[in-house]
Amino acid sequence: MMPDFDQQGKGETEAWQPDLSAPAVLLEGVSKSYGRIFALSNITMALNGGVTGILGMNGAGKSTMFKLLMGKLKPSQGKIRLFGTDPWKNPAPYARVGFVPEHEKMYDWMTAHQFVSTFARLNGLTRGEAMLEADRVLNFVGLADVAHKKIGQYSKGMRQRAKIAHALVNDPELIILDEPLQGCDPLARTTIMNVIRELGRMGRTVIVSSHILQEIERITEQIVILHNGRLLALGNLHAIRDKLDQIPHRITIEAEDAKALAKDVIDMDDVYGISFPDKKNLSIQTHNLGAIHSKLPAAIVENGHHIHTIDNPDDDLASILGYLTSGGGI
Amino acid sequence: MESKPNTIYRALDRKAAAITEFTMRQYRTKASTWVVLGVGLVAISLVLLIYVDVMATGFESVDNDRDSEDPDNDGYPTGQENRYGTDPYRDNSHPGLLDPPIEPEPASNYIDEDGFDISISGDADEQSTGYDDDGDCRDADRTDSQKDSNDNNIICDIIIERDQFSGDWYGEADNYVDEDPDDAAYAAEASHMAFVLGIGKMGFVLLLGMFLPLFLATGLIREEMNDGTMHFMLSKPIARTEVFLYRILGYLGIVWPYFIGLGIIFALISGFIGPSEGFFRFGDLVVWLAIVFATMMASLVYGMLFCALGTMWRYGIVLAIPFAAWELGMCIVSMGAPEAPILRLSVVGWALMIVDAAAIIAWPNVEIFILQGQLMGDFGLIHSTSLALDFFHSEPGLGASGLVSAIIATVVLLVQGAVLWFIGGAIFKGKEIE
Repeated sequence: MMPDFDQQGKGETEAWQPDLSAPAVLLEGVSKSYGRIFALSNITMALNGGVTGILGMNGAGKSTMFKLLMGKLKPSQGKIRLFGTDPWKNPAPYARVGFVPEHEKMYDWMTAHQFVSTFARLNGLTRGEAMLEADRVLNFVGLADVAHKKIGQYSKGMRQRAKIAHALVNDPELIILDEPLQGCDPLARTTIMNVIRELGRMGRTVIVSSHILQEIERITEQIVILHNGRLLALGNLHAIRDKLDQIPHRITIEAEDAKALAKDVIDMDDVYGISFPDKKNLSIQTHNLGAIHSKLPAAIVENGHHIHTIDNPDDDLASILGYLTSGGGI
Repeated sequence: MESKPNTIYRALDRKAAAITEFTMRQYRTKASTWVVLGVGLVAISLVLLIYVDVMATGFESVDNDRDSEDPDNDGYPTGQENRYGTDPYRDNSHPGLLDPPIEPEPASNYIDEDGFDISISGDADEQSTGYDDDGDCRDADRTDSQKDSNDNNIICDIIIERDQFSGDWYGEADNYVDEDPDDAAYAAEASHMAFVLGIGKMGFVLLLGMFLPLFLATGLIREEMNDGTMHFMLSKPIARTEVFLYRILGYLGIVWPYFIGLGIIFALISGFIGPSEGFFRFGDLVVWLAIVFATMMASLVYGMLFCALGTMWRYGIVLAIPFAAWELGMCIVSMGAPEAPILRLSVVGWALMIVDAAAIIAWPNVEIFILQGQLMGDFGLIHSTSLALDFFHSEPGLGASGLVSAIIATVVLLVQGAVLWFIGGAIFKGKEIE
């Protein structure tokens, strides 16, 4: 694409019109390989509207997928469309997209306001328009009072919010956030989660990645699970959880008298095995996590057991991935 | 937001100005920028200091034909005795014994008494010129063959010939013709012109015009790619070729004012200090203008090239170094053989053509001036300063007039810059950014 001489950077020009019938994001059989290593293999999905969480361990291919969507990388195979347009060939759709990259490095010598307003002008805003827009988005992410401080003096959470503000310029319809919560303090975490939920309520398509299930759970129910470059699951988190309840699970209870507790537990319908990792701990194997969790408190109270902790060591991303990759499937 | 009429300024004030301004501010925050600009300033100022020292010390005039001496100590210098036909080696023969007696003249009358009278007229490859100001060649005591020592059947003249291949002029004078010119004036003028051309070509165009881009432009795109900050710029609706161009504009926004500032300082200092009949050498301003302009053009082309190399490969500076060596070689070739076809394949060859073109416009007689130095034989002050000037001076190699050569060279450099922009943009477009 040659320089555009009107410098407007509009999302809709005579040369480029968004395909309104196409979803915001479309991947068809997309693979990305580096030599013989596949960073992504054969991903097919379409996203339009709402907040979607991309869940995966480090190296699962989340950032690779985002860079493919943003035209930074060229797919080895398959078709990628942003509003119906190939992002590798044409940057015009970015007028409707905001992207928060994972990289830590920022322009530390700028203030957040300078940073946001400078890059807002790349959307085709004039200097004056960009200033107003920077005020608006910095206020939206809660940085209004420190907007004129240098980014170098910011905490990690403030830096992330400045990056999010930069992506929200020009009110994009699609916002892609790569690990926005990583390294943030609890307060910043809450603020950023609220911002993301708010964007979802405003009807934007939001894609947010994380490697922590609990974070994604607090933001959205619609998730995509990536593992080793493969799409493992796509859908509602609750549906995935219900299915997970049907698979072998482990509950570890630390009690005063583990053997006595075991006698009361072994008769329950859903328990198919117990074991004692050590004297004070009891480990229960079950297929129905939900049923056990509803019966367990009563059994403990009725029989007067003293317990210290109840732990679900499997109730995290690693165990879900472990189950999904061991051939369970959802 | 309310939309106002979209003037050209308002249009450019969006993406283009944003990236250009951003790039300039980014340069200003980096210590490396100031180090590079500072080292350039120090290096080139050292040469200026040497020039100022030489001009302040001045040159001493030499009595080239030694006729101001008085070997017989009779009070009359040899030149005066020669004029009156007395014997300069016997103290009982001098003009004071003539009738009426002649008062002795001061010796200084016989230093620098026979200056250059050389001109080139017409297109003939062999010409006769020169004039014996002090009459010692035309002395009645001498035979015609003594008066015509260069054997061209014209007495007391200088024969000049044009070399068929190089086009340079060479001369041979009859004895005692133009044999005692003003050394100090010649050396000052020759040194001044040699300084302007030398510092302009090697200092400005080659050193600053190439090494500043080498250090400042190579990382323009590459550093942002390595840091991951390029994602901010490229996730906006802007083509990568545009980003490439506006980054270069930002770089030029730093180096061009630097060149202009340095050029003004050098033009002012050398204009006031250099040899001049008035208080300032206004004529040199054309040459200084050309030097600054050629440096700006060179830095544009080199900037595009080095930025493209940096974009292409993480260690692009490694590719830039052999190219820099090539350009250094071409710079030397350009000063010796400006018409060499291989120069057309370089950047510096075209940039130096702009300087050469301005030099023949500002100093139309420089060729004769160098020829005068040739006449003075080996190792004299005039001869050695003329050799320095001859080294740095060359005719614009296309054989066209100064203005035409300058225009052609400028157009070629702009085309080179545009082609490298397209290549750099294409490389950038094909780059995957992690």
